[in-house]
Amino acid sequence: MAAANQYDAIVVGSGMSGGWAAKELCEKGLKTLVLERGFDIRHITDYTTALKDPWQLPHNNRPTNADRAAQPIQSTLYLYDQSTKGMFVDDTRYPYEQAQPFNWYRGYHTGGRSLMWSRHVFRFSDLDFEANQKEGVGIDWPIRYADISPWYDYVEKFIGASGENPALPQLPKQILQPPFEMTALEKYIKAQFAKKFTDRHLICSSVAVLSREHNGRGPCQGRDQCARGCPYSAYFSSNGVTLPAAAATGNLKLQPDTVVHSLIYDEKKNRVLGVRAVDVNTLKTTEYFAKVVFLCASTLNSTSILLNTRGSRFPNGLGNDSGELGHNLMDHHNGGGATASYSGLLDRYYRGRRSTSMYIPRFRNVARKEDKFLRGYGYEFYSGRGTWTRGLGSADFGADFKNEITRPGHWSIYTEGYGETLPNHENKVWLSYDKLDKCGLPRQNISMKYGDNERVMAQQMMDDAVEMLTAAGLEDVKGFNHPVVPGSVIHEMGTARMGRDPKTSVLNSHNQLHAVPNVFVTDGSFMVSSPTQNPSLTYMAMTARAAEFAVDKLKRGEI
Amino acid sequence: MNDRRAFLRGASVLMGHAALGRVLTAFAATPRKAGFFNDTEMGTLRALVDVILPATDSPAASAADTHYFIDLAVPACASPAAQQVFREGLAAFAGYDKLPAAEQVAKLKARATSDIEKEYEASFFRILKDYTLTGYFLSETGATQALAYERVPGGFWGDLPLQPNQKAWAI
Repeated sequence: MAAANQYDAIVVGSGMSGGWAAKELCEKGLKTLVLERGFDIRHITDYTTALKDPWQLPHNNRPTNADRAAQPIQSTLYLYDQSTKGMFVDDTRYPYEQAQPFNWYRGYHTGGRSLMWSRHVFRFSDLDFEANQKEGVGIDWPIRYADISPWYDYVEKFIGASGENPALPQLPKQILQPPFEMTALEKYIKAQFAKKFTDRHLICSSVAVLSREHNGRGPCQGRDQCARGCPYSAYFSSNGVTLPAAAATGNLKLQPDTVVHSLIYDEKKNRVLGVRAVDVNTLKTTEYFAKVVFLCASTLNSTSILLNTRGSRFPNGLGNDSGELGHNLMDHHNGGGATASYSGLLDRYYRGRRSTSMYIPRFRNVARKEDKFLRGYGYEFYSGRGTWTRGLGSADFGADFKNEITRPGHWSIYTEGYGETLPNHENKVWLSYDKLDKCGLPRQNISMKYGDNERVMAQQMMDDAVEMLTAAGLEDVKGFNHPVVPGSVIHEMGTARMGRDPKTSVLNSHNQLHAVPNVFVTDGSFMVSSPTQNPSLTYMAMTARAAEFAVDKLKRGEI
Repeated sequence: MNDRRAFLRGASVLMGHAALGRVLTAFAATPRKAGFFNDTEMGTLRALVDVILPATDSPAASAADTHYFIDLAVPACASPAAQQVFREGLAAFAGYDKLPAAEQVAKLKARATSDIEKEYEASFFRILKDYTLTGYFLSETGATQALAYERVPGGFWGDLPLQPNQKAWAI
């Protein structure tokens, strides 16, 4: 039995982090088993809706009542429609308890959320890595920018990203293809910001979307239907980029439909021997063995696997000597922003559908300390001219109405801030060990609330957006500050944080469990603070870094 | 324009035609028969969608079978409350298809005026307009004739001069 299921490495999960772990470990010569709990999605072949026109989709792409009943949480996401619903879980099959309201958006399939992500890839800076320590919040990051910088280089070169380097200390320089072009209005606003502000800049976001061909992939064809899967491989996904690289080594075994229940821990050796996994169709449990295990199952699920691995040495979950496992859950908040319109530039238009945003990098608590709140926010920024949908809200109809709404309307702008959330021990995930699903996995409970710092920041996010759009000469400027249900930004992170001290953290600076040396956790679980930037690039870089460390230690016989 | 873009567009058109072929085959095998609304309601609905979106330099809503779209989409997608409001609204417009054109416009205008400030779920006019516009502008006829549509644009050009009589993009 053991011989048949023996590998050098096991990677749990095939998404953003799992794909990277698989590639790095396979390329370093390790026979690697990737266990994916969901169904298999093959690159391109299985993107069945990718090239469908609206009229080729049921109800012109509108979700039905039955869809919403099966996916009451997933169907509230902006991405959700007939073309993408298959990328999201059936909520009735994967229930969780919301001790506080929490939107958990996810897909269980090969590639995970690397297929539906928003593709923004900014680097963190030392402003981010030093903040906890300087302000006495949570614990200090055990790494600094110099530790991760070469790994950002490494990842950016491989995935292919495009965008604009703003040359700001809070957004370190990246390896980027040329950015996508700005619209006429964006060019105008960029120039206005340059005149009116010294610290506000409108740039094209860094995105893992190719503006030029890269290693036989892309460039982007301007469909803006990324979440259906890209037949041109123009954005980064595990399916299209890392998993094929892993498979090319001959060292990869990818096994879908297999959910990991817990790790197999040998107390005498203080090593994990492998994983206990359940075939989701036959419900048969099988043990798989390896020298090293990488947990990349997404924050809440990797943490839950550790919490579900209990014994006399670790009664509260594997590696949980600190009591921090499951705690310090964070997500960003994006409730504050503004809308505006502009009645000029009516002789300018665009062609194609750009799948990227513009971006206003963080400017609060950068050069000068704010009195009212810690940390800051960056804005995503979108512009466009009115489409037929502007006709929905009016009482008009008839030939003149039809002629009017079939022509490009005025320009409009939408911008929303993405704010940093402070770590808080009270925000957490925990398991109900007495409530098991059909695979024997305990029910997850999630409780997260934003705090005062986030609430004060959100107000300023709105006020700053209004100020900037007004200063740029836009019209009909309206601020908003919507309440945000935690989880909604889909950046859940922090529940197995890294740190220098095993008494206050779960992982060391190499994503290795302090207490059990052959277990690594490289998805969002390891995050110590949330910065304002989108986190996936950092997960990829830290995964590659941890893989090199792990293989080096294996070769030395140290794990 | 480079050759690669031209090639990719060509390839996607071929793939699209294959998919479209299957849809059209299925469509042709299905007689245009309403499933949810009765013949009287369908007559009313057909007249209503054409008053909202008449023939101009592009075909009228009924020429794109917008009323059949509504017959499928309202029972599938609208909430039970909205379906009820919609049915009652159609009943209030019984005989609408027999009215002279000017009276059709006046009757819908009166309803639009009284309905527009209501919540969506309680507003016959807003539900009707939602499904009429979605049904028409995202149909092949509406997207490609009343509006401009490219399945695979081939890239993104952010700042172009507006062309004479340029139609807005469908999506």
